Amino acid sequence: MKTKRILVIDDEESIQKVVSLSLKMEANWEIICASSGKEGLREAEAQQPDAVLLDVMMPEMDGIATFERLNNNRQTQAIPVILLTAKTGTAEKRLFQKIGVTGVITKPFNPLALASQMAKLLGWQL
Amino acid sequence: MASDEGIRTLTFWDEVVDTHPLTASGQTLLPKVLTQLVARPESSCILVLHRSNIVGIVTRQDLVNVIAQRSRWTKLRLATIMTHPVITMLKSELSTVAALIQRFEHHQISHLPVINENKGLVGVIVQKELLLKANAQSAETIIEQQHQRSQLFAEITLKIRQSLQLKEILQTTVEEVQNLLQADRVLIYQVLADGTGKTISEAVQTPYPSILGIPFPEEVFPEDYQHLYAQGRIQAIADVHAPESGLADCLVEFIKQWGIQSKLIVPIVHPLPPERLLDDTTNHLWGLLIAHHCRSPRQWTDFELELMQQLADQISIALSQGQMLEYLEERVNLRTVELTQANTALQQEIQDRKQVEVALRKSEEQIRLITNNLPVLIAYVDAQQRYRFNNQAYNYWLGQKPAKLYGTSIKTVAGAEHYEHIQPHVRAALSGEQVTYEGDLMFKDGRYHAVSVSYIPHLEMVEPGQTTISGFFALTTDISERKAIERMKDEFIAVVSHELRTPLTSLHGSLKLIATGRLGHLSDEGQQMLTVADESTDRLVRLVNNVLDLQRIESGEVTMEACTCDTADLVEQAVDAMQTIAQEQDIEIQTQLKSLAIWADPDYIVQTLTNLISNAIKFSAPGTAITVTSQSCFDHQPLPQAINTFSQSDSPELALFCVRDNGQGIPHDSLKNIFERFQQVDSSDSRKKGGTGLGLTICRKIIEQHGGTIWVESEVGVGSCFYFTVPLSSKKILQTS
Repeated sequence: MKTKRILVIDDEESIQKVVSLSLKMEANWEIICASSGKEGLREAEAQQPDAVLLDVMMPEMDGIATFERLNNNRQTQAIPVILLTAKTGTAEKRLFQKIGVTGVITKPFNPLALASQMAKLLGWQL
Repeated sequence: MASDEGIRTLTFWDEVVDTHPLTASGQTLLPKVLTQLVARPESSCILVLHRSNIVGIVTRQDLVNVIAQRSRWTKLRLATIMTHPVITMLKSELSTVAALIQRFEHHQISHLPVINENKGLVGVIVQKELLLKANAQSAETIIEQQHQRSQLFAEITLKIRQSLQLKEILQTTVEEVQNLLQADRVLIYQVLADGTGKTISEAVQTPYPSILGIPFPEEVFPEDYQHLYAQGRIQAIADVHAPESGLADCLVEFIKQWGIQSKLIVPIVHPLPPERLLDDTTNHLWGLLIAHHCRSPRQWTDFELELMQQLADQISIALSQGQMLEYLEERVNLRTVELTQANTALQQEIQDRKQVEVALRKSEEQIRLITNNLPVLIAYVDAQQRYRFNNQAYNYWLGQKPAKLYGTSIKTVAGAEHYEHIQPHVRAALSGEQVTYEGDLMFKDGRYHAVSVSYIPHLEMVEPGQTTISGFFALTTDISERKAIERMKDEFIAVVSHELRTPLTSLHGSLKLIATGRLGHLSDEGQQMLTVADESTDRLVRLVNNVLDLQRIESGEVTMEACTCDTADLVEQAVDAMQTIAQEQDIEIQTQLKSLAIWADPDYIVQTLTNLISNAIKFSAPGTAITVTSQSCFDHQPLPQAINTFSQSDSPELALFCVRDNGQGIPHDSLKNIFERFQQVDSSDSRKKGGTGLGLTICRKIIEQHGGTIWVESEVGVGSCFYFTVPLSSKKILQTS
């Protein structure tokens, strides 16, 4: 089975590192990191990952705007997107569901369960 | 005016009186009588004598009638057909032709025997002869006398009636009568209630003494006399000293001191005063009109009697008038007093009202001063949605002058678009509901300000126990500053929580990864420290999450998106979420579920259930069980009693959830505050159990937003049971519709 490639877009380098390590350890997925929305868009187009793990609160272009751009781009619109957010309110969850993301994972997450959470949302087998 | 013209001379009477009438004994047979009458054709009657006293009379006509009607008349004797007793007259009583004619008419007789003081026969007067003799001279005199009497009477009456003052009337009467009759004393004697009396008016000739004001003892005027006078008795006594006067000796002695020789007494009777008429209609003897003659005895004529009687009647009328006047005056006085009192009361009321008006004006000014200086918009809107009052803040804030707003509809002032937003609130206020809502209002500087608006219905009592809504008071407060602060607080919390979470996520994730041991093994102490750091970060994460949740609910940022959902489903979702943790703690979660449709936001109800189950797990010993139930209950009784009073006939209104544990329980004094922030039973709990102290507060906020109630029952050492209610879907739908 081909190794899954995940694009992690988060402006926090520490988060990038924890997520990368966690996903590699638990699922052996290939991780590409981007530190901003713009960089993420470029990487998504170029790398065509199997899924995007996207932070919501980022400077300049936030997660919602980045998602809309990915969604409006023919080359990236098919890539499933999971939001990673510190916003845990029920209202926000509803907003995220409304815009059509594949799933939402709240910060702080359990790094040992992150891969299984994502796989469940994406319908993948680990 | 006195006149003796009606009194005839003795010569006249000598001509009138037949001094040689036929006389006979009562035993005389009629044929003999007839013979005597035939022999004396000028005699028209025969007098029947017995021992020189007249015992009967038979006229020529009587005899003719008997002869015509009785066949055996010749056997009859004079006594059998005579008229008796016989009306006679003393010769000394002969005065006027008119009086004599009146006597003939009064007794319906045609012959009048005249006797002397010794009752000896003087003669007989025949009515026909009298009239013939008097003829022209007498007829004129009679008419003249009658005219004079009428005139005199009219004059006196006029004088009497010219005054309504009784005292004056009475004095006029006695003076006029004294003058007319040439009596020596004329007086009016008033009978008092106790039977005594006194003279109240008098006209007296000198040198005779006055008896004005002298009281008469009761014995000189006994009660039977009063009764007789009240019946109309007139007493004319020619000579008080004569035995036939009939006066008691004591009275004669009593009146001697005033030289009275002769007196004429007529009663003054009149109906009782108006106020006594209702229960007594009999005549009342008010007093006597008395004429005294002191010079000599006096034979009072019929004219004098009649005059006195008529004047007594006039006095009686005057008395009635006077009494009526007095009565009316009394009524008028009484009414005047009443009117004066009413007027005084009215004046007082007017004064009071003026004072009240002044006080009201002052109060109104004060209220206006207060309302105009308060930093809020205050208005009164009537039932037709027209402004009836606006304070000056309308001018300062919105540039709308209260005088211009008066009478204008709120729709016109607000504009159609804004009115559409506020219309439901206006309707609610006019249906008696107090309303508060928040909105934005453009001030005269063109900027929108956040405002809080309250409508308070004006209930007016129309009848006891019945009120109507006349309008509502509208209070608008500028809450822009408060809103700005709230926004800042919300933003601050959001930023802080995010900024906290980001490093927390890294920290938390890193620690978890190290704890796996895949990144290298630690010593036992190192592993323990790692566990401490891991648990602390977990707790910190929960605390941050709860702070954020609570802030969102309290700020109203979160709205409950209610829909119909099933209680059993919600409980199962919560149990599923907590099952792993429960199993880790060796705790069994049991459920007893009744499937009920409730009107709620499912996510938040699951969150509440999860919090309660999480708490129950924390405080339960391993190997024990937690029970989660759902059932229906009622809203009309204080909870939790409502749970136990379920009746089949009633329709339930609420769904009741219960999370029961067999843990350590909560002391009674801690139950009251258990739902307040950071009110854990033991402050060490948060450390031991990893709680944040906000979970139950969040639960309470969520349930209150659903219109439900949350409470706890607990017994130390036995366990706790957390209840909460949520409206059933059917009730909510019914209320909404």
